[in-house]
Amino acid sequence: MTAADSADNTALGTVSRPLLEVAGLRAGYGAANVLHGIDLSVLPGEVVVVLGANGAGKTTLMRAIAGLIGHTGTISVDGQIIAKARPDEMLRRGLGLVPQGRGTMTAMTVRDNLRVGAISRSDAREIADDIERWCTVFPPLANRRNQIAGTLSGGEQQMLAIARAMMARPRLLMCDEVSLGLAPIIVQQLFGVLRDVNQDSNTALLLVEQNAELALQIAARVYLLEVGEIAASGETEQFRGNDAIRKSYLGY
Amino acid sequence: MEIFLDRLFSGVTAGSIYVLIALSLVVVFRSSTTINFAQGEFALFTSFVAWWLTTKGLPIVLALFAAMAVGFTMGVVAERALIRPVRRRNETAVLIVALGLFTALNGADGWIWGANDKQFPEILPHGDNDYFVIAGSRLHYDSIGIVLAMILVVTLLSLLFNRTPLGLQMRAVATNPESAALAGVKVGRVLSLSWGLSAAIGSFAGVLLVPVLPPNQLDLSSFFSILIFASAAALLGGLDSAKGAVVGGLAFGVAESMINGYATFLGGSMQLTFALVIIVVILVFKPTGLFGARRLERV
Ligand SMILES: Nc1ncnc2c1ncn2[C@@H]1O[C@H](COP(=O)(O)OP(=O)(O)OP(=O)(O)O)[C@@H](O)[C@H]1O
Ligand SMILES: [Mg+2]
Repeated sequence: MTAADSADNTALGTVSRPLLEVAGLRAGYGAANVLHGIDLSVLPGEVVVVLGANGAGKTTLMRAIAGLIGHTGTISVDGQIIAKARPDEMLRRGLGLVPQGRGTMTAMTVRDNLRVGAISRSDAREIADDIERWCTVFPPLANRRNQIAGTLSGGEQQMLAIARAMMARPRLLMCDEVSLGLAPIIVQQLFGVLRDVNQDSNTALLLVEQNAELALQIAARVYLLEVGEIAASGETEQFRGNDAIRKSYLGY
Repeated sequence: MEIFLDRLFSGVTAGSIYVLIALSLVVVFRSSTTINFAQGEFALFTSFVAWWLTTKGLPIVLALFAAMAVGFTMGVVAERALIRPVRRRNETAVLIVALGLFTALNGADGWIWGANDKQFPEILPHGDNDYFVIAGSRLHYDSIGIVLAMILVVTLLSLLFNRTPLGLQMRAVATNPESAALAGVKVGRVLSLSWGLSAAIGSFAGVLLVPVLPPNQLDLSSFFSILIFASAAALLGGLDSAKGAVVGGLAFGVAESMINGYATFLGGSMQLTFALVIIVVILVFKPTGLFGARRLERV
C-alpha cells in the first residue's frame, strides 16, 4: 500500500455522507411557487445557517424538508431519497423541527408538551429522564412543569419548543428563527444551549435566522436565501471575508 | 319536596343522556374543531342495527357491542372518506357534509327499516315496579342505570385522555395538529379514531336510551331533539372540555326539568326554545363555555 493510497483512504473516510441533502427543491402554496430549486446539504454533526430576509422562503424551506408541505425535487436522508416526505417519516429518520412561532400546544401542560415530543419513542424510563434533563437545561421550565404551556412567556415557550423537539432525540435539529421577538439575553442563552446540543450529542443543526451576527457565531457553513433561490453559500469565514455579503447581511 | 325530588331525578337522568351525547360531540370537537351534526344519526342508525339484531335473536347486550362496533366503523369511514377530503379544501364545507350525512342516514334508516316505530328491547329494567322510593319520590332503576352508564363513560374517557399514549396524541392533535405531526403523531389516524370513538359512544348511548325515552320506541326522529339539547349542553360546558360536557349536560337536564315542573304555564314546547336561547346566549356572551379553552370559530 502506497502513501498516496492511504491518504486517499483517509480522505474517503473523513468525508462523510451528508445527513441531509436537498437538490432542486421546489415548494410553495397552491399555485404560488415559493422555492425555485434549492440545493443544500448538512453533514452529520454540522452546524449550517440559512440567512434570508422576510419572505425569502426560509420557513417554506423548513416546512418542505420536515414534510409539512409537498415538494418536487429531491430530499435525501443518509443518501436515501425520501419520495413521500411526511412529518412522522422525517422524524423517524432523525429530522426534528422547531417551527417558527414555537408551535406550543397551548392547552396542555409543559410536561405533556414534552411527552408529546417523545411520542415516537417507547422507552418510558428514559423519556422521564429526558424530561428532567431538559428541565435542568432550561430552569424556567422546571418550576412550571404542571403549568398550562399557553401561559408561558415567549422566551419560555421557545425553550419549550427546543426541548420538545429534542425529546425525539433527532440527529438533525432544524430551528426556524428561534431568536424572533426575544430579548438579547434570552437569545444568547438559547444559542448557548444549541451549541451544547451540537457539541455534546453531535446533533447537526440547520438554523434559519435573520439575526446573522448571532447565527454566524456557531455556524460552520452559510446559505443565503433570496426570493426562493440560494444566492450564495460557503464557509462562515469565507462569508465574513466577503465585503459585499458582509455589508448586506451584517451591516458593517 | 316530592315534586322537587321528582324533578331532580328526572333532570339528572335527562342530563346524563345529554352528557353522553355531548361527550361524543366533545370527542370530535377536541380533535378537529368540528361539531358533528350527524352524530345523532350515527346513534339512531346503530340503534336500528341493534334492534334488527335483537329481532334475529341476539341478546340485547351483544347487540349493544355490535352496534358500538358498527358505530365505530361508520365514524372512521365518515371521517376518512367524507370529512377529510373536504376539510383540506374548505372548512365550512365540513358542516354541509355533516348535514348531508345527517339527512342521508335518516333517509337510509327509513328505507332499510321502514318508518313505522320499532318496539325496542330494554337493556335497563324499565317496568312499572322497578324503582326505589326516596322521600316519597320514585327513583327508577333505569334512571340509575343511565346515570351509572354516564359515569362509566366519563371515567373511561378521562382515563383514555389522561393516562394513555393515544389520549396524549388526541389532546396534542386537538391543541396543535401541526406540532403533533412534527412530533411524529399520525394526525389523520388520530382524527379517524376520534370520529370512531365518538360514534361508538353515541351508539352506546342510543341503545341504552331508546327504550327509556318517551315514547319508548325507536322512530326516525328519536335523536333529533336530544342532539339539540346535547349541543346546547356541550356549548354550555365548553365544546372542548369533557368536564364541561358533564356539568353542562347535568345543569341543562336539571334546569329543563325544573322549568317543566314549576313553570308549567310555559308549556312543553318551551324546551326547544329554551335550548336555542341558551345556545344564542352562550355564543354571544361566553363562546368558550364554562370550562372550554377554545371558542367556536367556525361550525
Ligand atoms: N400558507 C401560505 N399560503 C400562501 N403563501 C404563503 C404561505 N406561507 C407563506 N407564503 C408566502 O411564501 C413566501 C415565503 O414565505 P416564508 O414564510 O417561507 O418566508 P420566510 O423567509 O420564512 O419569512 P419570515 O422571515 O418573515 O419568516 C412569502 O411570499 C409568503 O407570502
Ligand atoms: Mg419564516
